[in-house]
Amino acid sequence: MKRLILYLLYMLLLTACAAPAPAQEETPEVAQLIAMDTLMTFTAYGEDAKAVVQQAAEAMRTAEAMFSRTLPESEVSRLNAQGSGKAGPELQRLLEAASHYWRETGGAFDITVAPVASAWGFTTDSFQVPDAEELESLKELVDGSGVTVDGPAGTVSLKAGQSIDLGGIAKGYASDLAAQMFASASIQRGKAELGGNILAWGVRPDGNPWRVGIVDPARPEAGDAFVGIVELEDSAAITSGGYQRFFEANGQRYHHIIDPAAGWPADSGLTSVTVVARMDGGGERLNGTMCDAYSTALFIMGEEKALDFWRSHQTQTEYEDAFDLVLVTEDGRVIVTEGLSDRFHPIEDSGYEYETAS
Amino acid sequence: MNMKRRPKLRPAAWDGAVVGLVLALAVGCGVLLRGNGGSGEMAVVSINGEEVDRFSLAESAGKREYLANGYVLVVAVSSEGVRVAEAGCPTQDCVHTGVISRSGQSIVCLPGRFILRLAGGTERGNGPDVDAVIG
Amino acid sequence: MRTKKLTACGLLTAVALALSYLENFFPLALAIPIPGIKLGLANIVTVFALYAMGAGPAFLVLAARCLLGAVFAGNMNALLFSLLGGFSAMLVMTALSRLRGLSLYGVSIGGAAAHSCGQIAAALLTLGSTAPMYYLPVLLAVSLFTGSLTGLVSACLFRGLVHVDLWKG
Repeated sequence: MKRLILYLLYMLLLTACAAPAPAQEETPEVAQLIAMDTLMTFTAYGEDAKAVVQQAAEAMRTAEAMFSRTLPESEVSRLNAQGSGKAGPELQRLLEAASHYWRETGGAFDITVAPVASAWGFTTDSFQVPDAEELESLKELVDGSGVTVDGPAGTVSLKAGQSIDLGGIAKGYASDLAAQMFASASIQRGKAELGGNILAWGVRPDGNPWRVGIVDPARPEAGDAFVGIVELEDSAAITSGGYQRFFEANGQRYHHIIDPAAGWPADSGLTSVTVVARMDGGGERLNGTMCDAYSTALFIMGEEKALDFWRSHQTQTEYEDAFDLVLVTEDGRVIVTEGLSDRFHPIEDSGYEYETAS
Repeated sequence: MNMKRRPKLRPAAWDGAVVGLVLALAVGCGVLLRGNGGSGEMAVVSINGEEVDRFSLAESAGKREYLANGYVLVVAVSSEGVRVAEAGCPTQDCVHTGVISRSGQSIVCLPGRFILRLAGGTERGNGPDVDAVIG
Repeated sequence: MRTKKLTACGLLTAVALALSYLENFFPLALAIPIPGIKLGLANIVTVFALYAMGAGPAFLVLAARCLLGAVFAGNMNALLFSLLGGFSAMLVMTALSRLRGLSLYGVSIGGAAAHSCGQIAAALLTLGSTAPMYYLPVLLAVSLFTGSLTGLVSACLFRGLVHVDLWKG
């Protein structure tokens, strides 16, 4: 009998004490750094979380040192200065992917637009509207086919006078790197916020998908003004919008997304494009990079071409998986593609009209 | 009435022991949870990726100065939260961020490579119902 | 004799279910915003069954109450709450009732406290978050009152029944 009583009391003790244990598991490990000109925050839950977020932050510094166009010693800077040379496997892979996105988007995504972007001052923060003659001559240099990768030789080269800027895919690639690290460390849940791009890994600690707000392009400074909230699980999402970086001159607003064909900031009727893709492969398939490249390209294309592009890219290829879109138009509409519609929650009083595209 | 066991119907002295035990458990749990639970956020300041300061918001009302890569940033702490009051940097983004008070929020000065992040307490992300923001 | 016991079990289950339902009218949700958490008034029945019929029948009544209650509420989440709450209370009260020094009040208070712990455990399991832990101290304090109430009601009950032979005839 005594033993029974002891056992029962022990059980009571267990019910009371078992509770605090999960609290420790739930405390996330966080690493923050500034790299690629933006704030990056890595959050992970679970056993090796601390080591993983630090490793991810370290990988970002390494990636920045390779891909930066402003650090004179980076691989990209050397390539821009010399026109050709040896390249590590990562740069080779990224340049191959960039060439693929260039072909797929009919040139809307082009890393060789760099000289034009510089003329507008977007690399140096000394903004100006370049004169027409200068632009015409610089546009000659914009040609994605000029980038060649010689895998066996381990070299890459550009056409004479060309230079490249990986700013349009570097953050997406960073989210792929983060996903690879999360996957190889068997992290169950976490997130990587890379200057407004997100990798939503697993689900939240409460078992629900991560809720990600898409900034309202009309009110970006409000901080909590969204056009909608997407629920993400093992996915990457990236938004490109003209409101993110711009300058004003002569009463005109000029933003940083340069249409390679025109040499001018894209004027396509869209105010932002969000691309969402699954990351089941743990970043192996570079879906984050894809999202980054396509968000820029589809912003340049405009609503109709973007939706056509989405319709014609529903199958898996070597470089891409299916993706979904949230387009915000200048005339106050939010267009969500079919695959995302049940994971997208409109904001009631946002003033936008919501449409589903199929 | 015949019963399996005949209970005492009036409160007995030993009942006090049960009451005491339950009270002790309640108080004990309360103290334990208060100890580990967010009794106020900590601000963590880092410059160039290295932590340079860490202080509790509740106990640090007033101003603090940091030198971040040549820029002076003045951080003001009040009961409402923490904000960058003045910054010598050209962009002033950090000043425009305003007051932050919830765990998980940050203020960033890109030119100064300065990050002030609120930690501890319970993570509540960027608002009542969002875990992250893109755009 | 067997039929009588079975009838008694059925009646007690009905009373317990009625008490469970009655609890919905207490605005506990105002203080503790966790859906499913209850005061534990149905423990009166567990106390009564425990003393009048023993642990076995009390166990059966409790199980029937939890299952039927969840079926009536159409909510299987509630099942976990009432099972964990009810059985924690039952186990603790069975143990405490064997201690000679304790009256009905002590036993009931112990049961109510265990009921609270069990329900918080259920909340932790269903919500997958440690947030409910923060309500445990409040809930334990509340259980002092519910426990006393349960003790009082069952003491009155036994006093009233002292000259009645439940199992005769």
